[in-house]
Amino acid sequence: MRVIEAEALSKNFRVKHKEKGMRGSIRAVFHPQTEEIRAVDRVSFGVEEGEVLAFIGPNGAGKSTTIKMLTGILYPDGGRVEVLGIDPVKKRKQLAYQIGTVFGQKEQLWTHLTPYDNFCFFGAIYDLSGREAERRIAELTEIFELSDFINTPVRSLSLGQRIRCEIVASLIHKPRVLFLDEPTIGLDPVVKENIRLLIRQMNKELHTTIFLTSHDIGDIEKLCRRIVIVNSGQIVMDDSMEHLKYHYLNRKIVEVKLQEETALPKTEGITILKQKGSRVRLEVDTSVIKINDALRSIDAEHVEDINISNIPLENIIMEIYKSEGRGAVQ
Amino acid sequence: MRKYVVIYRSVLMENLQYAANIAMGFISYFMLIFVFINLWDYMYASPGDLIAGYTKEQMIWYVMITEMIWFGARSATIRQQVSADIRGGNIAYLVNKPYWYPLYILSRYTAEWNIQLPMYAALTAVIGAAMVGGIPGFRTVTILAAVPCIALGMTIHAVFKICISMLSFWIEDADPFQWLYDKLILIVGTIFPVEIFPAALQPVLKLTPIYTVCYGPAKLIVDFSAEKYLEILSAQVVYLVAGCGILFWIYQRGGRKLYVNGG
Repeated sequence: MRVIEAEALSKNFRVKHKEKGMRGSIRAVFHPQTEEIRAVDRVSFGVEEGEVLAFIGPNGAGKSTTIKMLTGILYPDGGRVEVLGIDPVKKRKQLAYQIGTVFGQKEQLWTHLTPYDNFCFFGAIYDLSGREAERRIAELTEIFELSDFINTPVRSLSLGQRIRCEIVASLIHKPRVLFLDEPTIGLDPVVKENIRLLIRQMNKELHTTIFLTSHDIGDIEKLCRRIVIVNSGQIVMDDSMEHLKYHYLNRKIVEVKLQEETALPKTEGITILKQKGSRVRLEVDTSVIKINDALRSIDAEHVEDINISNIPLENIIMEIYKSEGRGAVQ
Repeated sequence: MRKYVVIYRSVLMENLQYAANIAMGFISYFMLIFVFINLWDYMYASPGDLIAGYTKEQMIWYVMITEMIWFGARSATIRQQVSADIRGGNIAYLVNKPYWYPLYILSRYTAEWNIQLPMYAALTAVIGAAMVGGIPGFRTVTILAAVPCIALGMTIHAVFKICISMLSFWIEDADPFQWLYDKLILIVGTIFPVEIFPAALQPVLKLTPIYTVCYGPAKLIVDFSAEKYLEILSAQVVYLVAGCGILFWIYQRGGRKLYVNGG
């Protein structure tokens, strides 16, 4: 069953434009100029129930604007959107009971209250009875391991603890879809990993559909089965993570330490990325040349050490961003 | 409605931690009242004099009560928070919750003044008893009658302040309008009673929120009459209904102009 359906979704922003200097400032008073930026441009996609989807793109690509339209925060200028069969524009309040949102850069918790008081507050906001809220708090406290600091004021918590509480606050009303906008921003690697584990567990145990935006490739790689890449307001790729890796990981990075400095022969499918003395870094396109043929061309007898790895997913995504970017539409 | 009670309770819990901070405001209140006590002492040359129908004790108590309301109603939530939420885009994250944003703000503000006002009321009673003496003809039951009027006045004040803050949907900065409103209330209804102003101006002043926010409740305490009570209550109900209507209208239209940075 599809829980999110967006069809030709569009959003434009009118941005003030001012020429430089004092003259420009005075002119802007009498002749204000505005520029229309197409933040989201006829975007269409669907999300199945229980899916974990990564919705990524460079800054200004239109990710957060799309989330804000899906959650009813912003009114779309064009197209159609339905979340759990509800039109977010017309029935924002009704939808709010069915979805949860965590915006990594926005706090929703009351910092002077404890997480427990905050959860009770959110329970009441979402019309849960006292007993229901208590049961839910106990359940989530266990999953997210909050018992050590559930009665400590939020202002005294570490960032990682706070983000866990933010996620719990968004889950208190059992949302069917959870929108996570950069949930691991600013966290250290250990805490990030912990949060990812909890998100995965939540998806598995509570069957919550997760719509994730993040600049952290680790979040995407470890959590998502599907990836949608947006750039300049348009979807440039909508594919499964496996498919993406299969198609883009046909290039291997080969790092070789030779016995002595040698000029390597030019071979089709092999690109020398870096050579410093006897150390060489090559990129091998396995769709052109098999990896064993590539190794043969290096002359294995003179190899002292070798390391073969895939191109990092980060580089692949960066390449997709670069190849599909087209600038803002005026 | 339960959710607004919970918002109210949460703010109450939060603000109780800052009771000491509120008490710091007592210093400014005391200084202001001290100046007015001396000023009116000087203005009333001989005991028994009347100025605009007020005895010296009534006049000082009037100023103390209006200042008490003024200090008790001070709130960053209605003055700065709403504007900041709109300008910074934070409102987008608040309207996304299943409550009505203006009522959310109103609940927060009610909890704030529910802590501040009783503290200032206690201080007023102490200063008044020690430095001015009792209000002539005052009966304790008057307080019971005045409480709903004060509560309605505080709510009307908040509704108009939120309306002004919500102008931020259209203009860069609503602060100059807040300043104008605050000064009008302060000069026309707080420092001086309406009766001090020229007779031609008084009916106009009675048509402004000033009449219902500060003047009405204070007048009832210093000079209670059943007719005045009904008149002020009726005016407050009319103002509250009209204010809520304006608020609803502004919020509905403003919400469509929502622009969120960083989208």
